[in-house]
Amino acid sequence: MALKIQMFLFVVLAGVSIMFAVLTYNVTNNLLAFLFAILSMLFAIIAFSTKYYTYLYMPALKMRKGTIVLNSAEPFILSPSGTSVVVREEDGIYASSFVTIPLYRSGTEMSDAEKLDMAKLFSRVLTVTKNTVKIASQVYIVNKDDYIARIRQKLDESEAKLRSIPAEPGNEKARTRAEGEMTMWHNLLNNVSSSKSEAMVSYAMVSAFGTNDEEASAIAYQRAEEIASGISAILGISAYVAHGDEILDFVQPDRSVPAETVNELIRQKSMQEGL
Amino acid sequence: MDEQTIMYLGFSAISIFMLFIGGSNFGPFAILVDVIALATVAMILTLNYADFMLFPAVMSMLGIKVMLSKNDTVPKEQNRVVRYTNGLYYATGYLTANIYKYVFHEEAIVQSDDQIMIEAPGKWERIVMNIDFPFKFNVISNPKDIQKYREDLEGRRGFYEFQISKESQRENPSAMTLQELQRKMNVLQARIDRISSGELPLNSIMYIETTAVGVSDKAAADALTMQLSRLETMFSSMDMAVTRVAGREVHTLYKFNYMLYENQLMQKLFDLQS
Repeated sequence: MALKIQMFLFVVLAGVSIMFAVLTYNVTNNLLAFLFAILSMLFAIIAFSTKYYTYLYMPALKMRKGTIVLNSAEPFILSPSGTSVVVREEDGIYASSFVTIPLYRSGTEMSDAEKLDMAKLFSRVLTVTKNTVKIASQVYIVNKDDYIARIRQKLDESEAKLRSIPAEPGNEKARTRAEGEMTMWHNLLNNVSSSKSEAMVSYAMVSAFGTNDEEASAIAYQRAEEIASGISAILGISAYVAHGDEILDFVQPDRSVPAETVNELIRQKSMQEGL
Repeated sequence: MDEQTIMYLGFSAISIFMLFIGGSNFGPFAILVDVIALATVAMILTLNYADFMLFPAVMSMLGIKVMLSKNDTVPKEQNRVVRYTNGLYYATGYLTANIYKYVFHEEAIVQSDDQIMIEAPGKWERIVMNIDFPFKFNVISNPKDIQKYREDLEGRRGFYEFQISKESQRENPSAMTLQELQRKMNVLQARIDRISSGELPLNSIMYIETTAVGVSDKAAADALTMQLSRLETMFSSMDMAVTRVAGREVHTLYKFNYMLYENQLMQKLFDLQS
């Protein structure tokens, strides 16, 4: 459909360009001929640009405040089964499923022959399916948001506990104990959030086209299962189709940089710089 | 150049050609029309071969942003995708990273390439160890039409055979030319043999994606530029061409996070790439 629209637009715009060029032969006024020539060339450029930019033309006509809106909705929805992400495009529905590749072998523990074999196996992994497939290795920051939140909660509790003990004679021991506890949580918070921890994961992604969500999801899942089996057999590992939350780690860029973890890092950096 | 490009260039050139030959219609403006026509030709060729330079320049000049989806916007520079969420700005940028000689080992006829393959895992691990920000290395592969590919290879092999026989029949055949033709034919034969043994011929796109975070759009953009430069430096040790992606490819690569087109449409993208 998109190809037909592109071709239609090109033919119309190239036609207009040629029409203006023909008009330059039929007018006697030089200035008018010159204007037609400019219009003809402008349309020739616009016609050629349809080769790459047809998808921008219609949204550009509705542009507001200098922003071309291609899609104002969420980029995808997670299928009810949790096995794929569903994207609604103009020509239909695409669903994508993901295969986690738990590959823990390191080059440092391989002989030269094993390294060569590994490279050959990787070439074979790419030909595991007749469908288009994406294979990715992702380095991400480990999400310590929950851990940091728990430590913060403990720190708040220990501070409240210290405040609840009046500074009176006889309470020294209890106050020292509460102060020690508070310092411990404080140090732990600083320690945990002072550095980032990175991890790496590899995955394969495959998509399927369908007329509705269920159809596309089912085909994508089937293809992902086929890829998981193929990769498992080639690499001798247990690749599996990712579900639910795990998929979001692959597709959402903000999941690779967890907000709370990064906020804490920024806070500490600002404190160190004396801001 | 594929048929579609020839058609586009041909039709776009008709009007320009007509303006060139109709110089007498423009009187005193004739030279000006010729100059503008030449500029139009240059612009069309730039659009065809280097639109990644023209498109960001035009969008930047006009100050136009592109909203790809809710919260995801490509700023006027057209070189990153910015997401605002949880009170932070996440800027995602892309680098091309073609590692053909590493991945397609069987394509390499020269034996000395083995050493490159042996060193590759170590280099990759050193890169991963030394980078302390998130990044993703992506390889998208798409199978080619085997029949068409095989016919193309056989056609080219036939052409080389003809050239070899023509060279051999000369009075003083050049040994170097014969050797070169024979080498080219052996490469083609190796590919034909691989297809015959059941391997799939593939198209591939390889790229690196990285996300930087900041408390403002500018902070995130600066951090992203720094990250991309570091990735360029680190991956240069693998002897590969690494270039920052800008323009419409940013829109396409963003989409590849969530979906891949069916084979036919993907093939069209590869045709455009080539």
